[in-house]
Amino acid sequence: MLAITAGGVVVWIVWVAAGFACLASGVAVVSFTNPFFSALALIGNLASLAVLYLLLSAEFVAAAQVLVYAGAVMVMFLFVIAYVGPRREPPWAGGPSWQTLGAVLAAGAIFVEIVVVIGLKAGGRLEKSPDVGSVFGSPGWIGRLFLTDHLLAFEITSIVLLVAAVGGVILGSHTRRAVRGEMG
Amino acid sequence: MIAGAWLCLWAPLAGTVLILLGGTRMPRKVAAWAATTSVFVAFAGAVWSFLELHANADHHSHYSALWTWLAAGKFTVPFEIVVDPLSTFMMLIVSGVGGLIVLYSIGYMDGDDEERRYFAYIAFFVFSMLLLVEGGNMLLLLVGWGLVGLSSYLLIGFWHERPSAVAAAKKAFIMNAFGDATFALALFVLIAHSNSLEFATSFATASHLSQSTVDLVALGLLGGAAAKSAQVPLHTWLPDAMEGPTPVSALIHAATMVTAGVYLIARTHPIFEDAPTIALVAAGLGAITLLMAGMIALVQTDIKRVIAYSTMSQIGYMFMAAGVGAFSNGMFHLMTHAFFKALLFMAAGLVIHAVADEQDIRKLRGVGALMPFTKWAFLIGAAALVGIPAFSGFFSKDPILAADLHDHWYGVVFWACGLVGTFLTGLYTFRLYFIVFPGEPSPFVREHYHSHHGREGSWTMLVPVGVLTVLAAVAGWIQFQPFWEPITHWLSPVIPTEPAAEATNWDDAITSVIAPILGIAGIVVAWLIYGARQRLAVPRIAWLQRLLEHKFYFDEAYDLVFYKPAVATATLWRRDFEEPVVLTTGSDLGEGTLELGNATRRIQNGLLRTYVFFLGAGMAVLAVVFLAVR
Amino acid sequence: MLGPGVAWYLGIAAFLFATGAFGVLIRRNPLIVLLSLEIMLNGANLALIAFSRHAANGAGQIFALGVMAVAAAEVCVGLGLVVAINRRRLALDVDEFSELRG
Repeated sequence: MLAITAGGVVVWIVWVAAGFACLASGVAVVSFTNPFFSALALIGNLASLAVLYLLLSAEFVAAAQVLVYAGAVMVMFLFVIAYVGPRREPPWAGGPSWQTLGAVLAAGAIFVEIVVVIGLKAGGRLEKSPDVGSVFGSPGWIGRLFLTDHLLAFEITSIVLLVAAVGGVILGSHTRRAVRGEMG
Repeated sequence: MIAGAWLCLWAPLAGTVLILLGGTRMPRKVAAWAATTSVFVAFAGAVWSFLELHANADHHSHYSALWTWLAAGKFTVPFEIVVDPLSTFMMLIVSGVGGLIVLYSIGYMDGDDEERRYFAYIAFFVFSMLLLVEGGNMLLLLVGWGLVGLSSYLLIGFWHERPSAVAAAKKAFIMNAFGDATFALALFVLIAHSNSLEFATSFATASHLSQSTVDLVALGLLGGAAAKSAQVPLHTWLPDAMEGPTPVSALIHAATMVTAGVYLIARTHPIFEDAPTIALVAAGLGAITLLMAGMIALVQTDIKRVIAYSTMSQIGYMFMAAGVGAFSNGMFHLMTHAFFKALLFMAAGLVIHAVADEQDIRKLRGVGALMPFTKWAFLIGAAALVGIPAFSGFFSKDPILAADLHDHWYGVVFWACGLVGTFLTGLYTFRLYFIVFPGEPSPFVREHYHSHHGREGSWTMLVPVGVLTVLAAVAGWIQFQPFWEPITHWLSPVIPTEPAAEATNWDDAITSVIAPILGIAGIVVAWLIYGARQRLAVPRIAWLQRLLEHKFYFDEAYDLVFYKPAVATATLWRRDFEEPVVLTTGSDLGEGTLELGNATRRIQNGLLRTYVFFLGAGMAVLAVVFLAVR
Repeated sequence: MLGPGVAWYLGIAAFLFATGAFGVLIRRNPLIVLLSLEIMLNGANLALIAFSRHAANGAGQIFALGVMAVAAAEVCVGLGLVVAINRRRLALDVDEFSELRG
């Protein structure tokens, strides 16, 4: 859909910007002390990811990312953060003494491992990606896939969402009764 | 014939099972009569079997198997019985004398708390003994062998509240276990060479073995026989076994079980004929036991122990016979011995039962005045035992000595031992008689004697004693070597007398004259010392007295050689290995596990972040592992 | 049109995932933990999309959409829990809920 004909330069610039934004916002999410700022950083992360998806010819997914994730999920988050109120907590606070170092090491190890694995196993084959047609990633194409090859996943996902909605309602209703009990 | 034999075998077992199933709901008298009836039914079966076999002209061995009991590859053992002259002979004795004794027990055990258990055990014993004598192969013989050992243990320790009875039962069982082990080892050697334990194949195999191997087999069999028959050196259990009820002593330790050793040697005589050295050892053991037991009996003060040592001594005679090859003489003496020894025990039992269970002969003086029937019964039994002419012992004991005389140079030694034994027999038997029966009743007897409704005992006790008195008196006339010998002829298809042991008429004559004279001499000496007027005093030789009273120190020797080292070893192991190592290992393992658990518990500190960390760390490690593996 | 090779996208995805993991391990405020969790999920999504592009197979994109739906559901329930905790006047600190211990 988005035909970028100006060549690789634009793509490269876009890629660098989006990539950088993604990484920076990711680090920001885990670093801010104020949860509100963390949520905002996450929204930025989601947006940059959407750009990256576009570069990967996943237009529908990018649109869904912005609409669902940034639009609905993050709004929910911000609502709750606002409701809960301001908190300040230094990032590295508390816990067993080895927690900090262990966390750094674990995360580092995971990162290194993933890179190494992919490099070892698939390094050669990831050089060249085939060209895909314009249909690839389009909503119609996704829809067709959902309703033919991946129908079961589609249906089950709807059930998962239903269960989550029910759960949310229950969690909400119990607290109302508890509050009334505390008051009266 | 076969049916009769099977009936004979299973009837007592049916009696036992009946009593077991009845439990405490069955009235005591019913249990008692059930046991008695079952044994008499067995006797009827034995008689039937005997008559049919007798009518059957060819008296060879008939086997009958019910099922294959043991099948291990090529080695099979059927559950079979053998019906032949020897087994029917033994069946008649065991079930006949057994029946009389079980009948006697009805009166003797009347009123005992656990009467039913007694009758179950004694019926089981009769079954076991019959299995032993009817067993058609060596393994079934061993099964019966072991079961009689078990019955003996159960019955000796019948009054289990008495520690002495329990100890005696254990002693008997353990010594017999030693004999069982040597017996089993002999069987193993036979199996290794022939893959079968049938009599015929075993004997054929034995004849092809090297001399040392067949000697080993015979030695193993002899070990078992000596333990079961209480011969030196495995004899110390028999006097202690008198802790059991008197009918038990009569049946098991006089008439039947202790004769099983003689039966074994007779049954497996081809093996002993192939191992003449061991046969000679058997005869020698018999001679030694004969003398030793006779001497020890001279100083015993318990009425049952005198008779027990007498049993040991008489079985020594039977071993001497079997050792030199005069098997039928030995078996004939077995028969007459069963009669008069059971009679002696039962008469003693009548006395014990009537005088408040007292067994010390010094307290029982003069009881004959109050119990004349018992006195005469005992007297006839004693005369038979000593071998006074016309009573049964004379006809059975002397041919043994005659056979010994005929057999090589050592036979003469055995003959001499046997003659000395005859003198001793007269001496100790009539010592017992003169102390207990004649004369004025002692104050103890007068005080504690109580009659059974005016008679010396209930009819169930008196009738068997009477029957056995008659048998002890006249049963000997059935065979008077060398004039008429139906028993030898009856048994010869199975246990022919060895040529070396065929006594000549001259041997018989000399022996039959000298032996009774010596016996009577013994009686006279006893009368002189212990009779009413005490003309002679007992010679006081202190060291001899001590030696005899300590039964030649066998018990002390075994205690030193076997018991103390075993206890010391066990204590050593317990103190130095089991307590510091084994027991603490158990508790240490437990404590260690607890410690480990405690340590592991602290990982669960409840913090979510820690759990997630471990998840992540584990995932990282696993990824490396998978990478490395693939 | 792709820009650099797929491998670079995967590198970004790996970094996002590791960063999200780090955040989950280190932060005490449950809201921030949930946000870090979202970062992780997004990293996985990026990897899926990248592979889908590389293999020209639509299954990756479908999977990513499914992940998004599930993430939404999970956030819904998670935030419900946070709200419930807050209503009980309990401290919003993951270290406080440490009763699941040995």
